[in-house]
Amino acid sequence: MMSALARTPFDRTLLLVIPAAAFMLLLFVYPFLYGLWLSFNPKEGGALANYHHFFTTDNLWPTIWITLKLALPATIINVGIALPIAFKMRVKTRYQRWVTTILVVPITLGTVLIAEGMLLYFGPKGWLSQFLQFFHLYEGPIRLTHNYWGVLISLVISGFPFAFLLILSYITGIDPVLARAAATLGADSRNQFRHIYLPLLAPGLAMCFCLAFVQAFSVFPSAVLLGSPAGPTRVISIAAYEAAFEQYDYSLASAIAMVMGFVQLVIVAAVLSLRNLFYRGPVTGGKG
Amino acid sequence: MKHDFSELKLDRVTRRFAGAGGKAFNALDELTLTVRKGEFICLLGPSGCGKSTALNCIAGLMNLSGGSIWLDDTRIDTLPPEKRGFGMVFQNYALFPHMSVEKNIGFGLRMRGVGGSEAAPRVARALKMVQLEGQAHKLPGQLSGGQQQRVAIARAIVIEPPLILMDEPLSNLDAKLRIETRAEIRRIHRELDRATIYVTHDQEEALSLADRIVVMKDGVVQQIGAPPDVYGQPANLHVARFMGYRNVLELEVSQRDGDRIVLSSPDFKLTGIQRQPVAGNRGAVAIRPEEVVVASGGGPNTISGRIDNVEYGGRDALLDIVTPSGTVLHARGPVTLRRGESVSVHIPVERALVYPA
Repeated sequence: MMSALARTPFDRTLLLVIPAAAFMLLLFVYPFLYGLWLSFNPKEGGALANYHHFFTTDNLWPTIWITLKLALPATIINVGIALPIAFKMRVKTRYQRWVTTILVVPITLGTVLIAEGMLLYFGPKGWLSQFLQFFHLYEGPIRLTHNYWGVLISLVISGFPFAFLLILSYITGIDPVLARAAATLGADSRNQFRHIYLPLLAPGLAMCFCLAFVQAFSVFPSAVLLGSPAGPTRVISIAAYEAAFEQYDYSLASAIAMVMGFVQLVIVAAVLSLRNLFYRGPVTGGKG
Repeated sequence: MKHDFSELKLDRVTRRFAGAGGKAFNALDELTLTVRKGEFICLLGPSGCGKSTALNCIAGLMNLSGGSIWLDDTRIDTLPPEKRGFGMVFQNYALFPHMSVEKNIGFGLRMRGVGGSEAAPRVARALKMVQLEGQAHKLPGQLSGGQQQRVAIARAIVIEPPLILMDEPLSNLDAKLRIETRAEIRRIHRELDRATIYVTHDQEEALSLADRIVVMKDGVVQQIGAPPDVYGQPANLHVARFMGYRNVLELEVSQRDGDRIVLSSPDFKLTGIQRQPVAGNRGAVAIRPEEVVVASGGGPNTISGRIDNVEYGGRDALLDIVTPSGTVLHARGPVTLRRGESVSVHIPVERALVYPA
C-alpha cells in the first residue's frame, strides 16, 4: 500500500497553491506569530506580565464581556431573522429578486456610512424621533444612539445581508423534491421545515453563525461612532487600539489581540463541535 | 385520509402552463379516468406528454387549471398533498439523506402521530416486504440505487395509502435490476390490494405491469385499454408508433371491402384492416417488424426486396429490406441472412393496421 502511494506522480497543479501560501505566510502567519511573540515580551515584567495586567485591570478584562454581549445577540438576531426570510425566498417568484436586492444593499455600505445614517435617523433629533413625536406615538426622547442599542442595531444592519446570503445559498442547495416527498407523507410546511430543512441546514447554520460572530466580535468603528466608547460599548478592539496608539504599548496591544482571538476561537470551536452532531453530506434524495 | 375506497375519479383534469412568449399551453388536457380499487394503471407516453403532470396533479403537488378529482364522493383536488394521504415514489427516490432507512420509512407514520411502539412493527413489515431487513440503520447514502428505490417504495406503502403514485421509479436502475424491481412492484401491488398509478415512457414496462394503460401525447389521452388491446389494436397512428409499430408506410388506397382495405405502391399491394375510417385516397399502414415474416413463395401481401442492413439480435436478426422503388421495411428474420441478399416477406392481413394518412 505504501509503495503504491509513494509512486503516485507529483501533481503539478499543486504548484498553483504557492502564491496563496506565500501570501498567507507573509501577511498572516508571520504577523500573527510576531504578535504572539511580542505579547510575551512586555515593556516591563515577566513573560506573562501583559496577560496578568489585562486580567487584573478594571477597564481591560470586562471588555471581553462587553464585546460578547454585543456580538452574541447580534449574531443570534442576524441568523435568526435571516433563516425564515431565506426560507421564504427559496422559491423563485416575481418579487424574489427585488426583495433579495433590497435586503442585500447594506452590505455595499461601509460601517461608517451606516453609522452616519443611523445618527441622522435614530438620533434624538432624527427622523424616527420626529415622526413618533409628530404622531404622538411616543413622547420624550428616544435614545438609540451613543449607547449599547446603537451599536447592536448597526451590527444587525451590517451583518444581516451576510447571514442572509449565506443561508439562502444553503437553502437553495437543498433539493426541493425532498419537501414534496415529505408533503405526500403528510408533513405540512411547518413539519417540512422542522424535519427536512432544519436538520439539513444545521451544519450550514453553524458555519454561518461562526462567520457572522467573528465579524461582529471585531466591531470597532460603530462602537466608537454609535456607542459610548468610554463605557457600555468599550469593546475589546477599542482596548487594543488604545494600548497600541494612545499608550504606544504594542506588546500589551498584541496580548489583547491574542485574548480576542482566543475568545473567538473558543466560541467557534464550541459551535463547530455542535455541528458534528448533525448529518453532514449531500443534501439530495438520491440519483439526479 | 381514508384507507379504503372503491374508486378514484379524474374528471376533465386540466393543467395549463405559460409557454414560450407568454402563450399558455395545456400540459394536460381534460384527462378523464376512473381508477378502481386493486387496479394498476400505467400512464404511458414520450417525455413532455403530460403523464408526470397528471401524477403531480393527483398527488397535489400541482394545482389544477380545470376539472376535478374525486375519491369516491369526496372532492380532493382542493386538498394540499399532506391531506390527501397518497403514497408517492419519486424518480430520483427523494429519500431524506439525514435519516436512517428506518426513520425514512417511519416518517409518514410519525407525521400521522403513530407512536414508536405501534410504528415499529409496521416499519419492520414494510422493510420485509421490500426485502431490506438488516438495512434499517443505514443512511440512504450507504445503499445502492436499487436498495434506495426499494426504501422509497417501502416509505410510500407503510402509510397504507389508498393510492400509490409512482413516477418512473425504475428509470435510474440498470436493466437487470429494472426487471427484478418491476416484478417486485407488481407483487407488492397484489399484496396491498390498493390502486397504483404508474408513470413510464417504457412501453415494455407498461405492458408487463398494467391492468390498463393510458397512452398520452401532448397532454391528450390517445387510448385507454388493457395491455393486449393497446399492443394489438392501437387506436391511432401515434399509439401504434409508440407501441413498436416501426413500419408506417403511407400508400395509395386502391380498393375497399368493409373494414378491409387494399393499399398499393409501385412495387406491391398490401391488404390490411382499417382501425380508423380512411376517407381520402391515401392511407397509412402500421406493421410491427415481428409481423413481417421472411417467407418463400408468393401469395397476397408478399413483398420482395433486398436486405440493406442486418442487426444481430440473438434469437433472430432485425432486417432492413428495401423494395425496388425504395420503400424500407423493418422485418425480423433468421440470423443466417446477409446484407445484399434478395428476400420475400409476408404480412398477415389482420396484422397490417390501416389509419388515415
